[in-house]
Amino acid sequence: MRARIALDQLGQFHENPAVIAWWCRLGGRALEWQTPARRRMILVLGAIWIGFKEPLETLARRNSPSQMPDELGAIVVALLAFALLWLCYKAASNFKSLPAFVRRHPYISLHLLYWGLIVFLLSTTPALGEWRSILVGVAFVFPHLIWRCGYLLQSGLHDRVAGTRFRDHLFYLWPVFGGSNTPYGKGFDYLSRCEAKTAEELARSQLAGIKLLLLSLAWSIVLDIWEAFVYGSGNSLSRALGAQPVVPYLNDLAQQPGSAPLWVAWASLYGELIRDVLKLAIRGHQIIGTLRIFGFNVFRNTYKPLLAESLVAFWGRYYYYFKELLVTFFFLPTFAQLGRKLRDRPDLRLFAAVFASAFAGNLYYHMLKGSRLLGEWQVPWPRVFYCFLLATGIFLSMWREKRRGGVTPPGGLGRRVLRIAGVWTFFGMIIIWNTNDGHAFYTRTMFFLSLFGL
Amino acid sequence: MEPSAKLSQKGESLSVERQQRQTNLIDFLRTIQKPNKPVESLGIHDSLVDSGLIDSLATLQIVEYLETTYGIDFASMGVDPEQLASIAGILDLIEKSRP
Repeated sequence: MRARIALDQLGQFHENPAVIAWWCRLGGRALEWQTPARRRMILVLGAIWIGFKEPLETLARRNSPSQMPDELGAIVVALLAFALLWLCYKAASNFKSLPAFVRRHPYISLHLLYWGLIVFLLSTTPALGEWRSILVGVAFVFPHLIWRCGYLLQSGLHDRVAGTRFRDHLFYLWPVFGGSNTPYGKGFDYLSRCEAKTAEELARSQLAGIKLLLLSLAWSIVLDIWEAFVYGSGNSLSRALGAQPVVPYLNDLAQQPGSAPLWVAWASLYGELIRDVLKLAIRGHQIIGTLRIFGFNVFRNTYKPLLAESLVAFWGRYYYYFKELLVTFFFLPTFAQLGRKLRDRPDLRLFAAVFASAFAGNLYYHMLKGSRLLGEWQVPWPRVFYCFLLATGIFLSMWREKRRGGVTPPGGLGRRVLRIAGVWTFFGMIIIWNTNDGHAFYTRTMFFLSLFGL
Repeated sequence: MEPSAKLSQKGESLSVERQQRQTNLIDFLRTIQKPNKPVESLGIHDSLVDSGLIDSLATLQIVEYLETTYGIDFASMGVDPEQLASIAGILDLIEKSRP
């Protein structure tokens, strides 16, 4: 018992007043110097750097150089991306004077702008010259910014941008602290609310950041060990130990349904879920840890999802900022819009909002890539099915929790383990279809059936 | 200690009407809060979600509560998660939305 308390205290060292006081003494003047304005300025300088680096790297990676701009063109793409961000800032800061349609549907307007560019590019040929290549470059880069611009417009919609400067927003629009197309730390409103204003708050935030960076390191080691002993190949640890593969990767196994014994197939399924969660936690902790070091004490991206006892809890704790993106841009707008029509049918309203986000929004997010929209397009059937299963599971889970009315489900370790196992099994199974490879639907479904000996 | 009493001690000068709305809101929050996080432990400016009192499902229930109790039309004004983040934010929203 005493050991457990000591472990808990060690795990929560960032909230220990004595540790915070020690960090304040250690940081001394350095902490005082790191005012919110200075910290943001450092992030703005980083944003300018990443705003050029990212487009140059993204465009250099593409495998259709005939359509792509050259290096000078890529610099123009970066400048155009900054110009688009500035226009978005101007739109948000003058939100009330925007046309009525844009005020009513700011996110749809933003996406229509991007789709207009895609339609223009699809209706023209590379013969149009360098300017077309530059616009192709913009189409490749903008999906990284579009959801961040969405958060900026949301701040404008709720009248929180007036009186701010462009540089107050640049640091999260081009985040030097990292992230995917999903904005970690969301946007201006949430970041401002979580920003440390005093040296003590900064100390608290930095300690919480250090904890996450240490956790990230620890999970990296666990992942290396997991890869070495479960999969037997793929990293230096397994090569050094000469570990033999015990379980194949799910992706390899799913291409040859029925090729492995049942227990191996199930082990691969659960193994993939654990691997997926670990990878997401490692990356997310690095990004959020860095944000916290800079004084933004925001929520973690991944928080113990493997201990979740319901599907909706897992979904909220597995990839928090992606869930928040879907909630902000799909779930809440749908839920709000249906208020008048479906106020007397709350279950149907919930169903529509869940499917608008976890199914349609999720699918749309993954489709929104320049390479996909301008390349050979095929319906990603496995992902369509994955999103359908996910939305169904989340709706049923939310519906059950709502029915339960806040009452805790029956206790006991056995029941808890059963609930956790159910969550693992659901998410482990739907991962089978979590791919954009349109040809894989049949083989992946066959693999799913093979799990039951069919 | 009743939360309203605790909050008053913090120097909040509340109008009677706002006080009544706050009491009603806290009564409602008690019905959707997580069992191990009593609403009494929060100040009116504390974040309901960040403190672990409620989850995103409960945000929907707050929207439904505001629609039915105060007739707030979120279809025209949109849902602002930051506004719904604290008791004070929700009370401000109710006041702002009054005809």
